[in-house]
Amino acid sequence: MPSIKRTHDGSEKEKEANLSPFMPMFETFRDELDEHHDRRERVIKTSRDITAASKKIIFALQRVRTLKSDIPEKIAKEVDDRASAMQKQMEAIAPDLAGINAWRYQRQISGGIQEYIEAIAFQHYIQFQTLITPTESSALLPSRINLTPDDYLLGLFDLSGELMRYAITTIATTGGLPKSGDRDILVDLRSVRACFEALDTTSSAGTGLGKDVQKKMEVMQQSVDKVETAVYGLIIRGRERPKGWVPDLKEERVVESY
Amino acid sequence: MADINDPGMVNSKIFEDLQKKIDDDAETREQLRAFLQTLERQGRVAQSVLSRAHSTPVAHLQPVITAAEASIRDEIETIGQLAAVASNSPYYKYNGMWTREVQNVVFSILMCGWLGGMATASNPASAGKLLTIEEVGSILNVPVNLKDQDAFHITIEEYLQSLITLIEELARLAINSVTLGDYQRPLEISTFVKDLHAGFQILNLKNDSLRRRSDGIKYNVKKIEDIVYDLSLRNLVPKPEASN
Repeated sequence: MPSIKRTHDGSEKEKEANLSPFMPMFETFRDELDEHHDRRERVIKTSRDITAASKKIIFALQRVRTLKSDIPEKIAKEVDDRASAMQKQMEAIAPDLAGINAWRYQRQISGGIQEYIEAIAFQHYIQFQTLITPTESSALLPSRINLTPDDYLLGLFDLSGELMRYAITTIATTGGLPKSGDRDILVDLRSVRACFEALDTTSSAGTGLGKDVQKKMEVMQQSVDKVETAVYGLIIRGRERPKGWVPDLKEERVVESY
Repeated sequence: MADINDPGMVNSKIFEDLQKKIDDDAETREQLRAFLQTLERQGRVAQSVLSRAHSTPVAHLQPVITAAEASIRDEIETIGQLAAVASNSPYYKYNGMWTREVQNVVFSILMCGWLGGMATASNPASAGKLLTIEEVGSILNVPVNLKDQDAFHITIEEYLQSLITLIEELARLAINSVTLGDYQRPLEISTFVKDLHAGFQILNLKNDSLRRRSDGIKYNVKKIEDIVYDLSLRNLVPKPEASN
């Protein structure tokens, strides 16, 4: 409420309220800003919902034990159901992210998109044992939602953590690395790691991407290290390993010494 | 070793493309930064010229206004160059880089307009005037509040931020007017700022920088009210008939 000096006479108060010649202008601004804030809230909410649903898809996929073959029906159904529900939510928010607003609310939607990329990249890996491309990723987003290179890249970084979990759990439960043909998950993790490490982001050091990459790079390297350590353990103690023994995920990195 | 026919986990084109996009992005930033450096320097000049208003009686203000208009013209030219380059990219992708400088330019225009400058062919100048966002846009020769088109423009938020700077500057001018022996201008400033304050109060601001800065308006209103109070207490307020 505007702070209008109240007088004993109500009508005079009304007159005073209209005194500011700038009111019509500010009323337009208010409507515009309200619209903006409402839109922003809707985007934030959808982003959170997409994040939550994507995490659940990832959890479901972590129960798969095979690589490069069909996902078990029960898990596939759960994944598909969640994915199509998410698709509807994204379609619903697409008008709010149209045209000039795509980048206006980029920071708000970004979290959800990254988590979604992580989920579809994980699913894609389990099914095809390859890294999902930006084109394939975009195809799984509503056409009106823009996939930025940053979100794609940061989603992939998080994928390495899921691959690590998938690898370790599979080792613990089956006694071997997920693999198909001659190529196992450690080979894949190492080739992704090499690609990430070759990427030069020093030019965007001051931007959000530079900082995020730096943080995620470290986590990604630790993930690969964990799988390498687990495979080492498998080789050296594999035969002695009691059934059901699970490697400690928090295990310290093995220091190389000569 | 992996099968020779197996293309492997990663299609190498993915990371080549990503690297190219990262490099393109950095190059665009570099391009924009050059204009921002120029704007920053020009902004300093404009603001130091406008600062002379604090020590110049109203009767002698014209040279200050003329000088301010000249430095604002320099800024307008740079804004035009910035707008041309910025319009090659999505507006909000890089908006954060220049919004500060743009706010400074808009403030200079608002302040100069309030002092009685910035006349245009269709829009004569008058002291104590508030230039609307549309007027600022036409002075800068850029669109305002674009919604259906992705191009360089002045946003409502930027205009409002500049209005807050204007209020802060006018509170300072109110004090300095008294020092200059001008007891009329604090009254004009008081009405003007109160009208703006009333406007800000109908906005539903969220917890952002606009909200934090607009919370400070009331202190400026109070500062100006205190000046008016001091003047009226000592019978220094000019009678409406007596004012020029």
